[in-house]
Amino acid sequence: MDTSNLLNDGFTLMLFGMGFVFIFLTMLVIATTIMSTLITRYERNVGILPEEGVPSPTAVIPHHEHPHSTSESPADDTTVISVISAAVNKFRSRHK
Amino acid sequence: MENILHLWENTGLYQMQPGQGIMIAIGMLLLYLAINKNFEPLLLVPIGFGGVLANIPGAGLAEHGGILHIFYSVGIESGAFPLIIFMGVGAMTDFGPLLANPRTLFLGAAAQFGIFATLMGAVALSTLGIFDFSLADAAAIGIIGGADGPTSIYVASKLAPDLLGAIAVASYSYMALVPLIQPPIMRLLTTEAERKIKMVQQRHVSQREKIIFPLLLLLLVAFLLPDAAPLLGMFCFGNLMKECAVVDRLSNTTQNSLINTVTIFLGLAVGSKLSADKFLDLTTLGILLLGMIAFGIGTASGVLMAKIMNKISTAPINPLIGSAGVSAVPMAARVSNKLGLESDPHNFLLMHAMGPNVAGVIGSAVAAGIMINYVTGG
Repeated sequence: MDTSNLLNDGFTLMLFGMGFVFIFLTMLVIATTIMSTLITRYERNVGILPEEGVPSPTAVIPHHEHPHSTSESPADDTTVISVISAAVNKFRSRHK
Repeated sequence: MENILHLWENTGLYQMQPGQGIMIAIGMLLLYLAINKNFEPLLLVPIGFGGVLANIPGAGLAEHGGILHIFYSVGIESGAFPLIIFMGVGAMTDFGPLLANPRTLFLGAAAQFGIFATLMGAVALSTLGIFDFSLADAAAIGIIGGADGPTSIYVASKLAPDLLGAIAVASYSYMALVPLIQPPIMRLLTTEAERKIKMVQQRHVSQREKIIFPLLLLLLVAFLLPDAAPLLGMFCFGNLMKECAVVDRLSNTTQNSLINTVTIFLGLAVGSKLSADKFLDLTTLGILLLGMIAFGIGTASGVLMAKIMNKISTAPINPLIGSAGVSAVPMAARVSNKLGLESDPHNFLLMHAMGPNVAGVIGSAVAAGIMINYVTGG
């Protein structure tokens, strides 16, 4: 390959590559922000998913890990925790 | 007497060439670094041992039909091993910090400048006649700056299989050297006041967001850059398995036994590329040097980008997290955290730095896709 040609190719690839990386990640930022806003709004109405996932239908008889636990279900716990942490966040952002 | 002579001619000592001796010593050095100095032992132990095996005179382990050559053609030539590793990395990645602050994706983008600047450097060196790199070689060398082992190996296996040994060794050794390479650059580019900047507490990211994010990323890759789909597709698949929490068995296998199994074979196969005739070459020295430069430029551009963003945006951004934009998860984020603590013992940057850190993984996979697209298609 011709040497000046090679240098040109390299330069084009650099501009093209860097440009594309930025365009791609910018679109990802936009898409992610929209997605987060939509989900936050949606979850305000229906509540959040439990962190450990939806219990799957299974042939195995469910084994209760905390028979003496005071709360009714682990899902309740996580909801309570997330509500508390949201409140703490709001408090901190107001009282800086 | 003739039998004894025959036996002597078949010993390693008789057949040993000086190059092989040196390569066995280099393999031993890698083992020493891994075992004694704890430099990326999970990779350098198999790579170092593979390097020793590949250079045993007369055994031909790395030649056609040898066991290391079989590992190489099955796993690396086909591109399978790096992709399986990427799936495991996906299953170990938590996108929470990134989702809490999506702007950190820009830091991951900026740090990829190291890749392209080094590509230019490699091309310039061949124009000057110092080395003889083609555009494909230069692209594969540049990707070392992405500080991402599997991505480097994937790109090198596609674009410059001859340089694979040197590129893999360079990228893994620099990943181990992150705590040494990055801090001087970061200190040079930031002021004490900037290092003390405190960042706003991250918001809570819900599980639904974490489940949808890999799907969103996958769709974006599918629409915009199908060449990055093998890498990012596997990455997203691994991450979805982890976040959806209904296939814990698969997710656990992916992030433990599967990735470990593949790492063993990947390491040995990379080691097989450390044969004397390919590795003992000035080119290798050039690759090691260029890789180091790539790393430095990537770190610097990440930090500079963070400084710019700090000027523009309302929420403060500590420039130290910019350096985490060169993937190297989670080492680079830990370095950011450590430097932050040096300036202010109450300033914990780790979670903030994880955002650019995983953004760097996405960024370097995108850069890899573009290079493969441009070089093979153009």
